[in-house]
Amino acid sequence: MSFRTKLLFVVLLTIFASVSVVAYAVTHYTQAAFEAMDAERTEALVAQFKKEFVQRGEEIAHQAKNIAEANLTERMAIDLSRPNADQSLYVRDAVGTAQEHGLDYVEIVNYDGVLISSAQFPARVGYKNEWVTAVKDWNETPAFWKKEELPDGVSVSLSVVRTNNTVADKPLYIIGGHRLDKNFLASLVLPAGMRALIYTSLEPAFVATSLMGEKIDGEQAERFAPLVEQLQKQPQQMAQTIDWTRDPADAETFQAIPLLGRNKELLGIFFVGSSRKELVLLTRQILKIAGAVAAAALLVGLLVSFWVSARITKPVEELAEGAREVAGGRWDTRIDVRGRDEIGQLAKAFNHMTQTLAAQKERLVQTERVAAWRELARRLAHELRNPLFPMQITIENLQKARQLDAKQFLEVFNESTATLKAELANLNTIVGRFSDFSKMPAPQFVRVNVNEALRNAVRLFEPQFNEVGKPTITPELFLTEPLPDIDADPDLLHRAFQNLVLNALDAMPAGGTLTLRTSEQDGHVRIEVADTGKGLTPEECSRLFTPYYTTKLLGTGLGLAIVQSVVSDHHGTISVTSDEGRGTAFRIDLPQRQAGQNTKPRETVAESKSAPSTLAAASD
Amino acid sequence: MESETDERMGALVYDRLVALDNYGKFQPQLATEWSHDAAFKRWQFMLRANVKFSDGTALSNGDVVAALQPLLPDGQQISASGNNVVIQSSAAMPDLLEELASGRFFVFRVQPDGTLMGTGPFFVTQSATASRGPSNSTNPAGDSNLATSSTNLNKMTHLRFRANEETWSGRPFVDAIDVTLGVPALRQLFDLQLGKAELVELSPELVRRATQDNQRVWSSAPVTFYGLRFDEAQAAAADANLREALSFSLDRQTMANVLLQKQAEPASALLPQWLSGYAFLFTMETNIERAKEIRATLPANLAAGNAPLRLRVDATGDLAKLLGERVAVNARQAGILVQVVNRAASHTTTTASDPAAGAHLFSWHYSSLSPRVELESMVSTFNMGNANEAAVSAIDPEQLYAREKKLLEDRHVLPLVALPEYVGLGQKVRDWMPARWGEWRLADVWLDLQEPNTAQPVNPNGAETPATSPAAASPGAKP
Repeated sequence: MSFRTKLLFVVLLTIFASVSVVAYAVTHYTQAAFEAMDAERTEALVAQFKKEFVQRGEEIAHQAKNIAEANLTERMAIDLSRPNADQSLYVRDAVGTAQEHGLDYVEIVNYDGVLISSAQFPARVGYKNEWVTAVKDWNETPAFWKKEELPDGVSVSLSVVRTNNTVADKPLYIIGGHRLDKNFLASLVLPAGMRALIYTSLEPAFVATSLMGEKIDGEQAERFAPLVEQLQKQPQQMAQTIDWTRDPADAETFQAIPLLGRNKELLGIFFVGSSRKELVLLTRQILKIAGAVAAAALLVGLLVSFWVSARITKPVEELAEGAREVAGGRWDTRIDVRGRDEIGQLAKAFNHMTQTLAAQKERLVQTERVAAWRELARRLAHELRNPLFPMQITIENLQKARQLDAKQFLEVFNESTATLKAELANLNTIVGRFSDFSKMPAPQFVRVNVNEALRNAVRLFEPQFNEVGKPTITPELFLTEPLPDIDADPDLLHRAFQNLVLNALDAMPAGGTLTLRTSEQDGHVRIEVADTGKGLTPEECSRLFTPYYTTKLLGTGLGLAIVQSVVSDHHGTISVTSDEGRGTAFRIDLPQRQAGQNTKPRETVAESKSAPSTLAAASD
Repeated sequence: MESETDERMGALVYDRLVALDNYGKFQPQLATEWSHDAAFKRWQFMLRANVKFSDGTALSNGDVVAALQPLLPDGQQISASGNNVVIQSSAAMPDLLEELASGRFFVFRVQPDGTLMGTGPFFVTQSATASRGPSNSTNPAGDSNLATSSTNLNKMTHLRFRANEETWSGRPFVDAIDVTLGVPALRQLFDLQLGKAELVELSPELVRRATQDNQRVWSSAPVTFYGLRFDEAQAAAADANLREALSFSLDRQTMANVLLQKQAEPASALLPQWLSGYAFLFTMETNIERAKEIRATLPANLAAGNAPLRLRVDATGDLAKLLGERVAVNARQAGILVQVVNRAASHTTTTASDPAAGAHLFSWHYSSLSPRVELESMVSTFNMGNANEAAVSAIDPEQLYAREKKLLEDRHVLPLVALPEYVGLGQKVRDWMPARWGEWRLADVWLDLQEPNTAQPVNPNGAETPATSPAAASPGAKP
């Protein structure tokens, strides 16, 4: 992953995390705020309903008071206060009174508690209502919830008791009430998204049909069972959210208000339902907006971070590219210096470094060139001196032989010319070797089996391994099979392997083991050639591939230079490791494929292999 | 109440063989003389001569035979003999005259179009049925089969009766009577107060109001009986102790005197005193404590109220519903759970039984002047008592008493209250002399109009006269 990608990723991650945190915080606090608002709204509505109940109670009280103060009621009170009064006269009065005053329930109770007339349950006339006479002053008592016995069951009413006190000590009680039913619910003013339900069953178990309200069916009613049962155990106001469907927008929060009678007994439950749709939709809207903002922020962040990272990483990339060019040999690489920040200083230092390196390289090249020339001159002088010295002696012998007789002269002459020829041939050989090195050809790549090439190279030296009178050298081959073919010039490769084997043989004058090993590694083929000779010093190792450098008395110093040249032309690498006294090992890594080369098929290799190399292996 | 309405309307158009006057004496109607053998098994009636139907054709003894034979009980046979008709039976018929003087024992002739023609003081000229709703429908005018017609509670049926000039009893005073059936009770009272009707039926709950408004109110002897009967096929009703406990819990005095505002009488017997003469011998005690004691002996499921006694109110009207609710309230005082089930529509003498109801609140209108006939009719209609018990065939009061006593002691039926019939009379109505048992005699009624020359009906648009009872016409000449 590039630096730019990393930087981009880090910046994006930072932006995403920031936006997420902000979005979450906004959503959370907004939702909490809306929840609080919703709770406040519901509380306000509940308070409104309670106020409405009080108002309804006052209206009922007003009507009950009107009834109690009516002339007919006064006459009734006077009449009923008499001994043996005919109570049947008033049996039906409550019905008409209820209709006149718009009340659902009206009951007239005599001073002794006997029910004189009942609008809702006329059949109960004549029975006593002792709870009525138990209270001394009803006129100051507000409306209360009351269980109403009806012919077809029991209901709950908001009732008020007022008295007519026309006859002292014999009040006539007027009980007026409104039934708590659907009509009562319908008369409540409900804001949008809210509804009211009433549960009026007085049974211990939940009765779904006793839950009244609009848009409520039996299945939905059953969902209220836990809340009702909870309130039956503990009659206090509580709230619960009911999820009607999987969609949270369909959920409703119900405030359950227990309706308690005068003796604090639970008579019913009033449910104020608040739809969560508005809240959920609002939350979703906020989430959508937060999502859109986050996406936009991410997009902007992506662009900005891309621009920023590009701006930050471009000089670094230029530095990296410059370094790569320097590594590739372009010592004169220069990069633009922008700004005076650390990157700019780094670029400036880089340019200074390359400038210094180039100068040093130039000096090194010149030094090496001089050294090479000197070495070449030394080698040439050394090589040429060897034959020249015998030739000089021979010529001097010839000059001296002019003093001898013809026979002796002829003998000397023949010997001298033979020697001169031999030395001249020797000179010619030396010159040829130098000439060959200068004429290293460009490789012609074909598919080559490295194992086969190694075997061919070793096979050439088999007579020398067991040469009579010399210590034995044991070749050991550890060749990986199958080994993929590589793109290589078989002649050059053969020549390099010959030089390595020859070099190993020279390193083991006392005999030993020649080890050859091949393996495949990451698209390369590795060749190892090791001997068990006396080894090299580190200084010798560092100079081993320098042309004309040799540790041998009769070496030209070109063998390993040729090997390195071949390996280099094949875009491979060669290294040497040596333990003094234990031996030396050369390791060559060659790529399996040569980029941009039109490689010939392997068959041509066999032909070239069949032809022996025209180049003699240079021994150092 | 449809049957008595039919009889009341029938009395305008048809005649019986004999009639009972207010003094308890039988008066000749279509029969001028009658006699019977010593065993009361053969009765002979001499028909009145020159009696004509409303179309002018003469009444024959064949018409009488054809009309009465389907109405007579099984075993009684009527035949024509000269100018007489003879009714025979293998059993004694000591109260045949009471039977023939009441109920539906009208004489009529079936016309080819299926309508019935009578010899009475009036005949029907047109009828119309109007819906109470906004869309009215009118039936074709024509004579109505009054003997078989019934009131449709959802519709108001308008009938116009015109005086029969050819009637043997002399032309009635009024020229015509407009009758509207199916008018709500309160509206009838308003019509009476406003002078839109001269005569209306009054429901008991409106009697006090009508009286307070200074309206003329006439009441008959108690003619409608309300009681509880039990369906012993239901487990809840089969227990005699439950029935006894329920009986002790019933407060009939309060029902009659408070709930019904003294417009009814507490009933202790199935037949009223005026009909049987021995009803005072029965008493129905209210004893809550005793009821509780008996209830305590009931089986666990009944005592615990797990299986409430379902009481279905078979009788129609708010009064019956009120009585049913009062029964439930009384029963609850004794710890007996009674569940009242109201019936949307009912017939007074229905025999349909609700398999889920153990008790039924029913009403019974006394239509016969024979106590034996009434008692046996009630018993057979409601399947009271033991089916193996022989019906009373004699008019011996002791036998009747024993029969009724047995029924009451077994508590198959519990009397509640008996109600008279109430009629509101307009200020112009004169000579209103109905029978004590509720039979109206409109042929004798005349109207005291301010301008005697006015010879037109009070309401020319008779169809709009809202009343369930006869409305007025102009005075006419009594022959």
